[in-house]
Amino acid sequence: MTVARGVAPLLPLEVETVRPDPVAPQVWEEVELTDADQELRKELLDTWGDNPGLWGWLRSTSHLSIAKRYIITAFLFFGLGGLEAGLIRLQLSQPENSFIGPDRYNQIFTMHGTTMMFLFAVPVMVALALYLVPMMVGARDVAFPRLNAYGYWVYLIGGLFVYVQFLLNTAPDAGWFSYVPLAGPEFSPGKRVDTWAQLITFTEIAALVAATEIIVTVFKHRAPGMSLNRIPLYVWAMVVTSFMIIFAMPSVATGSQFLAADRLIDTHFFNHAEGGDSLLWQHLFWFFGHPEVYIIFVPGLGIISAIVPAFTRRPVFGYPVMVLALVTTGFMSFGLWVHHMFTTPIPQLGQSFFTAASTMIAIPTGVQIFCWIATIWAGRTRFATPMLFVIGFFVVFIIGGVTGVMVASVAFDQQAHDTYFVVAHLHYVLLGGAVFPLLAGVYYWFPKFTGRMLSERLGKWNFWLLIIGVNVAFFPMHILGLEGMTRRIYTYLPETGWGPLNAVSSAGAVIIVVGMVVFAINFFWSLRRGKTAGENPWGGETLEWATSSPPESYVFMYLPVVKSRAPLWSEGSERVVVGGLRSDVRDTLTTTLMDAEPDHRQSSPAPSIWPLMAAVATGVMFISAVFTPWGLVVGSVLLFFALFFWGWPDKADQAKRLAGESEATA
Amino acid sequence: MKRFRIAGDVSALPTYAFGNRNIHWWGTLMFMTIEGMTIAVCAAAYLYVRKNFEAWPPPPTPLPDLVIPTIAAVLMVLSIAMMTRVHVATRKMDLRGVQRWLVIMVIVGIVLVALRWFEFKALNTRWDSNAYGSTAWATVAFHSTLLLFEVVETAVFAALMLFGPREKKHFTDVEDDAVYWYFMAAIWVPLYVLVYVSPHFA
Repeated sequence: MTVARGVAPLLPLEVETVRPDPVAPQVWEEVELTDADQELRKELLDTWGDNPGLWGWLRSTSHLSIAKRYIITAFLFFGLGGLEAGLIRLQLSQPENSFIGPDRYNQIFTMHGTTMMFLFAVPVMVALALYLVPMMVGARDVAFPRLNAYGYWVYLIGGLFVYVQFLLNTAPDAGWFSYVPLAGPEFSPGKRVDTWAQLITFTEIAALVAATEIIVTVFKHRAPGMSLNRIPLYVWAMVVTSFMIIFAMPSVATGSQFLAADRLIDTHFFNHAEGGDSLLWQHLFWFFGHPEVYIIFVPGLGIISAIVPAFTRRPVFGYPVMVLALVTTGFMSFGLWVHHMFTTPIPQLGQSFFTAASTMIAIPTGVQIFCWIATIWAGRTRFATPMLFVIGFFVVFIIGGVTGVMVASVAFDQQAHDTYFVVAHLHYVLLGGAVFPLLAGVYYWFPKFTGRMLSERLGKWNFWLLIIGVNVAFFPMHILGLEGMTRRIYTYLPETGWGPLNAVSSAGAVIIVVGMVVFAINFFWSLRRGKTAGENPWGGETLEWATSSPPESYVFMYLPVVKSRAPLWSEGSERVVVGGLRSDVRDTLTTTLMDAEPDHRQSSPAPSIWPLMAAVATGVMFISAVFTPWGLVVGSVLLFFALFFWGWPDKADQAKRLAGESEATA
Repeated sequence: MKRFRIAGDVSALPTYAFGNRNIHWWGTLMFMTIEGMTIAVCAAAYLYVRKNFEAWPPPPTPLPDLVIPTIAAVLMVLSIAMMTRVHVATRKMDLRGVQRWLVIMVIVGIVLVALRWFEFKALNTRWDSNAYGSTAWATVAFHSTLLLFEVVETAVFAALMLFGPREKKHFTDVEDDAVYWYFMAAIWVPLYVLVYVSPHFA
């Protein structure tokens, strides 16, 4: 490793590269702290810890605290979305059921889709990454801690807003993709669709913020020695996801502003009478909406790649191929959106292109699945709960993937479009591709978050109930769809003969609920009574396991130095680190993009109330805009003040930071 | 038990860096990508609805005026050249130069915002007339939020560099502000051509 540009001779670090990739050691040993280390620890805790009390809680910018709040909030919305799913299944369990009326039903299925996509799936995936990615790349903090806090608060305000509207009978009711003209001013008067449009804006801002955090943290805050070809696969997956968010989300955010404008200030983006176009909405929505599927699913792939090595005791087979497959998936996901529109008048050439692209995207995913199989084949596999969920992912996701290849064909799609076949397909893909890996991740990383293990016994119950429930609930929907049952109907006649299969499907939903209740019991029981975990209970190879469980606020006392793709498996009897970061301010190390050579030190900002205030101003801006366009003006002025105080340097902080840094004073 | 081995000491590294060594440069780049995508969506919508009209702009809508938008577009391009003066001054840590040119840029920015008001009028249509009006307004309006944001940000940096509690790191922040200005001004050129010039050749 060479000396960073024009810098004093603190380097080179004496670090050799380890080749070939190491395999897992037999026994895991933790690092013993000396007295000097203990002293440093106290100072770091003072510097990095959250301030006490509610005021401290509101001002916190610690990525650990923010990510935990984010994950808990996302799981609460998951519960609400699940409750809505339960109500839907209850209503459909028998023909001509009068449990829920059509108007309420429209709101419930719209809220189910909207909650699961916008308030659960994307947020929980980025939130997990906001906790783990900095740790996995050996950083103390995310790149922009205040922005990170802002993103969470915006998300929370958006979610609360839409649920308050639900309680006021003003929940969106035009489906999770709010197609015009149904969602336009003519057919959806009132404020329901406006609520949806603004919720989209809130959640997209939050996702874009998180994506920026992840990319810049990975690019500039990696531990010394973690060159691009040593980045853990989970981190690669999150980088690809973040780029997809950055290119996809502006499309729907702008589209939803067009929709809101059509409804509020009489623009004509989607109004055919004045030259607008309803298909424009479909393009704008699906240009986001299809990558969205991969935004949810690629993190799942990353989680699988993080878990498989720990339970097979060897690194994932074919690292370069795995990375290329992720990047390819990211690119290709932008070339498929029109396959959601095969029943609209699009040119035949377009149909052929998008069929070919939709079929082709199975290739990179297939490559990854074969690499995992090779890893499992070559390793000594241990079927603990996280690994069971990985196997569950294979089974459920592959079924969903195969039906995906089926609906990629125009001829078949025109039959299956808007039927329960598609509902079955998308639930197999999303439950298999996202929820199974996510739960695998929860079982795997729970000890890192809490210091305790989840119960293996309950975990196995959880797994078997879920995989049986998912198949019982969703497999019959394939058949119902082929028999012609369409989506979004609140009831059906007995003569259709759909009753028995719907009853089976609803029974499956009950099994899923029981499985998730077992999960909740396991969670709360283990939080108090679970077996204590050390810093690396599974013998994992990536850097998040090189710190205590749960991590202290500063995460790493000294920044680790990375000499292989499996840093913890190659460290032997000593952990190589760099020293020299300050302990009296939140000092972080910035490294170079390609080779992660130390470049400069940079101090993370102190806690601040202004990110929360900026989020509140954003809330005022978008929520009041539902009622009057002047809301935008008032909100922007408030936002200006919040951002001003957020960014303007605090003199006391500055003096502390500049003490001893004479060359930095202007 | 394992021990730590300290293999290097980073305490002598600097506490700020210019260009793509700086995380804020990357943050700005991400922000520009997001805004760029948004602008692309507005332009795509403008082009997409065009097929629904036999004449563009649809009669009786008059063509957009060219005089003020052209003056503004030329000034926009010139402003990039002026902003490079700020940029160069930051790299030299020339405080006086940064202060002087930031103030000039704030004035230029205010002029651009004022011209923008007349540029909306030069569209010769309203957002609620038809889809032509809606998409043209959306494109110009969205860019106006970038312009306004950038002028306000430049004004805040001018205040910081003139009166605020300065440190050397702020030169790198001002550099990022300049980079964002380049983006904001450069992206206006294709939008100007699309919204004001292209209807004359439709």
